[in-house]
Amino acid sequence: MKTVFSYTKPYSFLIGVALFLMLLELVVELLQPLVIASIIDDGIVAGDQDTIIRLGLVLMGLSLIGFLSGVVNSYFASHASHSFSFDVRRAVYERVQSFSLAMFNKFPASGLITRLTSDIQMIQQVLYMGLRIMLRAPLIVIGSMVMAFVVNAQLAIYLVIVFPILLVFLYVMVRKGVVYFSFVQRRLDKVNRMVQENLQAVRLIKAYLRGKYEANRFSEVAGALKTDMVKAFRIMEIILPILLFGMNVSLLAVIWFGAFGIQSGDAQIGELVAIVNYAMRMTGAFSMFSFIIMAFARAKASSDRIEEVLLADDDGEAVNGATVPLREGTVRFDDVSFAYPGTSRRVLQHISFELAPREKLAIMGATGSGKTSLLQLIPRFYEATEGSVSVHGRDVREWDLQELRKTIGLVPQQSMLFTGSISNNLSWGKEQAALWELQGAAEKAQIDETVQRFPKGYETRVGQKGVNLSGGQKQRLSIARALVRKPSILILDDSTSALDVKTESALWAELDKEQATTLLVTQKVRTAMRADRILLLEDGVASAYGTHDELLNMSPLYREIAQSQQAEEVDEYV
Amino acid sequence: MFNAIRRPFGYEPVLTKEDLKKSPDNKNERAKNWKSTLLRIWKLVDEQRTLLIIVLTLVFVSSAMALLGPFLIGYIIDTYIVPGAFEGMGLIIGWLVVVYVLHSVTLYLQNYWMVGIAQQVVYQMRAGLFGHFQRLPVSFFDKRQHGELMSRMTNDIENVSSTLNTSFIQVFSSILTLVGTAVVMVFLSPILTVLTFIIIPIMYWSVRWITKRTGRLYKEQQKAVGDLNGMIEETISGQKIVKAFSQEDRVMDEFLVKSERLRRNGFWAWTYAGFIPKVMNFLNNGSFAIVAGVGGLLALNGSVTIGVIVIFTEYSRQFTRPLNDLANQFNTVLSAIAGAERVFAIMDEAEEADDTKHNAEKRLEGKVEFDNVSFKYEGAEEEWTIRNLSFTVETGQTAAFVGATGAGKTTVMQLLARFYDVDEGEIRIDGTPIGAMPRETLRKQIAFVLQDPFLFEASVSDNIRYGKLDASDEEVVEAAKQANAHDFISKLPEGYDTVLSGDGSMISQGQKQLLSIARALIADPVILLLDEATSSIDTVTELKIQEALERLMEGRTSFVIAHRLNTVRKADFVYVMELGKLVESGSQDELLKQDGLYATMLADAKL
Repeated sequence: MKTVFSYTKPYSFLIGVALFLMLLELVVELLQPLVIASIIDDGIVAGDQDTIIRLGLVLMGLSLIGFLSGVVNSYFASHASHSFSFDVRRAVYERVQSFSLAMFNKFPASGLITRLTSDIQMIQQVLYMGLRIMLRAPLIVIGSMVMAFVVNAQLAIYLVIVFPILLVFLYVMVRKGVVYFSFVQRRLDKVNRMVQENLQAVRLIKAYLRGKYEANRFSEVAGALKTDMVKAFRIMEIILPILLFGMNVSLLAVIWFGAFGIQSGDAQIGELVAIVNYAMRMTGAFSMFSFIIMAFARAKASSDRIEEVLLADDDGEAVNGATVPLREGTVRFDDVSFAYPGTSRRVLQHISFELAPREKLAIMGATGSGKTSLLQLIPRFYEATEGSVSVHGRDVREWDLQELRKTIGLVPQQSMLFTGSISNNLSWGKEQAALWELQGAAEKAQIDETVQRFPKGYETRVGQKGVNLSGGQKQRLSIARALVRKPSILILDDSTSALDVKTESALWAELDKEQATTLLVTQKVRTAMRADRILLLEDGVASAYGTHDELLNMSPLYREIAQSQQAEEVDEYV
Repeated sequence: MFNAIRRPFGYEPVLTKEDLKKSPDNKNERAKNWKSTLLRIWKLVDEQRTLLIIVLTLVFVSSAMALLGPFLIGYIIDTYIVPGAFEGMGLIIGWLVVVYVLHSVTLYLQNYWMVGIAQQVVYQMRAGLFGHFQRLPVSFFDKRQHGELMSRMTNDIENVSSTLNTSFIQVFSSILTLVGTAVVMVFLSPILTVLTFIIIPIMYWSVRWITKRTGRLYKEQQKAVGDLNGMIEETISGQKIVKAFSQEDRVMDEFLVKSERLRRNGFWAWTYAGFIPKVMNFLNNGSFAIVAGVGGLLALNGSVTIGVIVIFTEYSRQFTRPLNDLANQFNTVLSAIAGAERVFAIMDEAEEADDTKHNAEKRLEGKVEFDNVSFKYEGAEEEWTIRNLSFTVETGQTAAFVGATGAGKTTVMQLLARFYDVDEGEIRIDGTPIGAMPRETLRKQIAFVLQDPFLFEASVSDNIRYGKLDASDEEVVEAAKQANAHDFISKLPEGYDTVLSGDGSMISQGQKQLLSIARALIADPVILLLDEATSSIDTVTELKIQEALERLMEGRTSFVIAHRLNTVRKADFVYVMELGKLVESGSQDELLKQDGLYATMLADAKL
């Protein structure tokens, strides 16, 4: 909890003011009974009309002071808690942005989303409550206790006796509550995950008529959340009755022993009545206590989850490093082997090759042979387990990541677009790009014409993940996005699969003119032939590497692929 | 100075005077919304009437016990301690212990069951919302961000949850206390009672002034949460792109803008809501002062006694305390209403048009006719996605659709599965318009293999079994073998029981596609829709897949979209589409003879 609440530091002054106002309000409230007593004693009993009016006005004035400090407190408490949660949210999101990709397996999107909203809201609420009412209950308890001791210490002892027991009990309950509420939040993650999954797979679920099946599956997940929630709250609900009972019993002890005290002359009736009064006040405050403790337990569970992210053991991505290329446009794999973090299976083994500027490498291979994994090492999404990957003449580990990635245009297999306009999406490639630059890139990617046809052109909104565009349109926009930045290295991960033959060849013709070193994954020999060299992957091993002709001689597998594809073309032509 | 008040800490006011002026119309609407929202929640609560009655009875008992305790103590002091006669005091103390035990037990039990009721309501809202998701048309999801919808499922419903847990009992017991004390007060002194009640209209007026603002602000706050959630979901799911393009800063900026909007709305909402208890307290204290002052004056001419004043000040506190408690709860109640409203708003979205319920189990033959079909997407940019499309595919035939991207090929398939309804014309299967066919009947006969294969966070075998829930293990393995997925599955750490992680990053895109083909195989459909199904599968594997698909297509009507012409070649008929229209159709040979667009495409492909 420490880390999270250290974010309150910038607001300590505001918090101080809020607390002061809260105390002021409390003092006013405690003064009121005294004034009333004075009205009765000095005014009514003495028959003094002026005193009644004067003290009545004092009472009104005190109320007004209390009111004003309460209202102003509202501003300060609200500001401090919202700014605090704003800062925590920023810190968590910033941290998430700096995560290496491996961390996203540890923290799935759904869990991060719950943390950034629900969990942060929980701690925000606790701070707000703290600044408004939290201190009241303890202060009332302490105040009443002190007063009770002043009145008659011997009797007050009986009130204090149960205190240690209650404190231990509270401590145990908070510990329990934290555990249970962290279960609750974890269940919430699951709910989030399942909703996310269902939203992504709407069509699939409808096509397979699995609506009811999914609803049942969800009932289980939501049911588990319900069960844990009920468990957590029921544990917390034990607190109040026990506290009340404890206080009430000690109240009885006060009366019982008080009675003997009066008999023996150690206590006065008035003292006993006063202590009983204070004890009742304390009991009232205790009901607020249980509420606070529940909130605290929830907040603790949430802040633990937030800290999990903030303090996660991840060196993140090196931000500082070289920013200038040595030999721009070169890519070198030197005996590279790679296993995904946390797994032992090597998806790439002893891969070596070197590309000079503007050279093109085609990568072919069966599904699962490691093509995408190989490409991911270049922008250093992951680091090679063995060997080294060098880009622009430097080991990628020496690079400033942002600078390195700025030189790379990546077109992933699944074209991922974001909510926003088309021009917005394209300018991901290069911020502050002028419209003509975007258009130029779009033209090369064979999508300009299509976009121009839209009534709103480049300002057309792209829906969630580009749902309102066809697969081919998305792919071409994703290519355009990579081209906008005029990358010196272009990575195309089988990113033309949804394009028809004509569009595709026009696209390749444009890409040939680009000044970039290109790595492309393809299934088609015809496309691979456009490259200077071809790397054939089989189960993570480079089974062949060379030009088209070399591979035809060297690799039986390549020959087989080439022949099968040529056969088609002959067929097609007939 | 003025600015500092209007813009404390630099917050821009989110509600302008104009906003508030607009309210006459909105006021009624809002009141109606509130009412109907509360009514709907109440209906859900009311479903557990027996438990509810038990809880309310317990609240009644525990409130009575809470009053009885102090009363008995007063009695002890008056009858035993003051006169100094202690005989029989032990008995009363014994009774007091009973009262206290009863109080604690009823208190615990009422909360115990109330939590159950509240969470059941919340569960029903969740399940109801999710079930509704399943019945909403696809076009609904096209328009909304996933994260935003997720936020309704979690954040908004959470607000309802925490309110129901605590506030419900509080409201009831407050009302009980309120009525009780009011009765006693009237009995004691009608004049002072009227004085105490003076504050009620002021209370009402000031609370209205505040809720006029907070109602809207809380709604804005929840909207801001939803927006932020949507953005977070997108950027975290698309993290690779964010990184690849080094757009962390830009994403961060956008995040801060949205986060700031949440902070601003939240700040104002909480600040205003925070006034309520203070106003209550103030009026409370005010009435305290009035009672003491005026009562004192009245006591001077003897119309009330001092004792009555003392009791009255005590009771007026008792009277306003529950009001105060209610006011303290207001914050959560308001955000709960805002949350519930957003949930109900989705639940009120029209479902996929109701199905006509007849011959639901009939297996179709599979003859598909498109009769002059036109269609455009809701809010689509292009005029018509499909225009005057007519063709017939006989039972068991394979129809291939070719054409440039955006020509409308995928849309044809989506229309056939009735993800969207046609705007003009008719689609018939076996002569029956699909609009007159229960969706279930229709979709039961159709299997899809989509371009972007989607897998669930479940085991491999569960993912395949998705096509046929009651499939045996042997059937699953058989389907995997046919789809050529068996080999790679066997190599996975736990074979068929391997659980695929969230984004399925353990296996490659092509392997995912193999699994989705196995899933379609096991479903044994009459009509097969393959949308670029083999695009990310390498040629060697594709040859094997081709065999499997051919076997699968045997006797089934198949629609195939592919850019690879070797896939198309096997089709009985080829339909060439351009800008939503059919421009050529016929068998492979016929089209080549026509020497039209298809022939040109083939020639281009050769280049």
